[in-house]
Amino acid sequence: MRRLLLALLFVASGVASGQTAEIAASVVDEQGRPVEDAVVVAVPSDGSVRVPAHVREAIVDQVDREFTPKVTAIVVGTPVRFPNHDNIRHQVYSFSPAKRFELPLYAGVPAEAIVFDKPGVVVLGCNIHDWMIGYIYVSESPYFAKTGKDGKALLGDLPLRAYTVRVWHPQLATGEEATRKTVDAAHAGTVPVEWTIALKREAKIRRAPAADGRGGGY
Amino acid sequence: MYRTAHRCARTLACAACAVLAACASRLAQSAWQYDVDAGFSYDSNVNRAYAPADIRADAAFALDASAGRFYAVSGRDGLTLAGEATTEIHHRFAGLNALELAASATYRHKFGLGYAAPWIALRLAAAELQYRDDLRDGGRVEARIEMGQRFTPEFDAAVGGVLERRYARHDEPVVPGISGKVFDLRGQVLYARAGYALTDRLLVAATLAVRRGDVVASTRRDFEIFAASDAIAADPAFGGDFFAYRLRATTDAAKLSASWALDDRSSLNAVYADERTDAAGDIDYRSHSVSVLYAWRY
Repeated sequence: MRRLLLALLFVASGVASGQTAEIAASVVDEQGRPVEDAVVVAVPSDGSVRVPAHVREAIVDQVDREFTPKVTAIVVGTPVRFPNHDNIRHQVYSFSPAKRFELPLYAGVPAEAIVFDKPGVVVLGCNIHDWMIGYIYVSESPYFAKTGKDGKALLGDLPLRAYTVRVWHPQLATGEEATRKTVDAAHAGTVPVEWTIALKREAKIRRAPAADGRGGGY
Repeated sequence: MYRTAHRCARTLACAACAVLAACASRLAQSAWQYDVDAGFSYDSNVNRAYAPADIRADAAFALDASAGRFYAVSGRDGLTLAGEATTEIHHRFAGLNALELAASATYRHKFGLGYAAPWIALRLAAAELQYRDDLRDGGRVEARIEMGQRFTPEFDAAVGGVLERRYARHDEPVVPGISGKVFDLRGQVLYARAGYALTDRLLVAATLAVRRGDVVASTRRDFEIFAASDAIAADPAFGGDFFAYRLRATTDAAKLSASWALDDRSSLNAVYADERTDAAGDIDYRSHSVSVLYAWRY
């Protein structure tokens, strides 16, 4: 009886592990350098996207007058909190169509989290410190990951099926749709997928000081 | 007059304190801001002479350090109170070596949300000037208004106006009936500047300015400039036979600068400035200056 139970457990675990696949994404730029902070999103090709009913709150911190992390990827419906760990108040806002909001000047942790209920890219700014810029990528699919310094990201626990996979990055020179690839993950295991993307200059205000008032004149 | 400078400085300090007190509840959180600039400059006509034989060029090392407190008064308003010390050490003319201690209050308001919102800033500053040669010692007060806008993350522009007043401590007339307070000066400036970030690191900027007011030219004895001056004093900084003459003049200035960001907190800067002055009595002179500066901010 005990042997039978163990055998059943072994079979059950095998079936369970066999029901998922993973996509090992690798993103490099045109010079072959790894691209950090690229968001890789996998959408089931059959349209069977199921957004989880309950999603964990995400955090976009403010440290040393910068958004940390600079790029945050979340699934649609995720509440995001914007704690301020600086000793100066910030006023966080976004004009992006995916989420327009403004957190009036505050210190510490705002009482309310902001829920990002539409997919798209949300560009964050601070009205006090114009150089501060951050991005929230709101994915319509729960299957996504962000690349690390090595330009690699692993999308795990994917139900077995075909996916349309695309890449977004703040400096992406082409549209996100141009990075679209169909990936067959109908079988258990790891599917490696690589992208070479063209990057443009980031639309960011320079923070470094300039000697404006020096050198004579005004 | 020197007392007047002190009165102005005191008034500025009181005004800043009043603003602070009025906004006390909102100013609980603030951040220190430190700036240091250091570098070398070369001026082709440091004494602002018009006769070629009298023109003196000099190079100088300058070190400027400031500490300020920034208060976010509201989401659209910021107040910076700062203290600043600047020293200049000249290569040829040691009499120009100087120490300047200044205090300033800058209030900036943005007309909206986002980096592209236009803004206006009002700055009041007072300084105490100490030179190796005491002719130039005194005080300085300045009121500045500036309006600007950042049109894209790369491009911004501003226009501004300055009222400046310098008070001379030295008063030793060399000509009976003509004031010896050569460095008692008034001036008004209008300027426009624009900056463009060519790359993530390289920022270029240009400034055009017109200044109307008193200027000081130091030359050897000369009737033309003597006739046009309303204050004269001996100027030993350039030699025993040099005199400083105060004139009414209009100065057109153009400045080009390039700033290379070393990181988010520091940069290397090159500045070229060209000034053309048209003074009373057909006294015209020109000067060029080049500076190379390291700027650091925390």
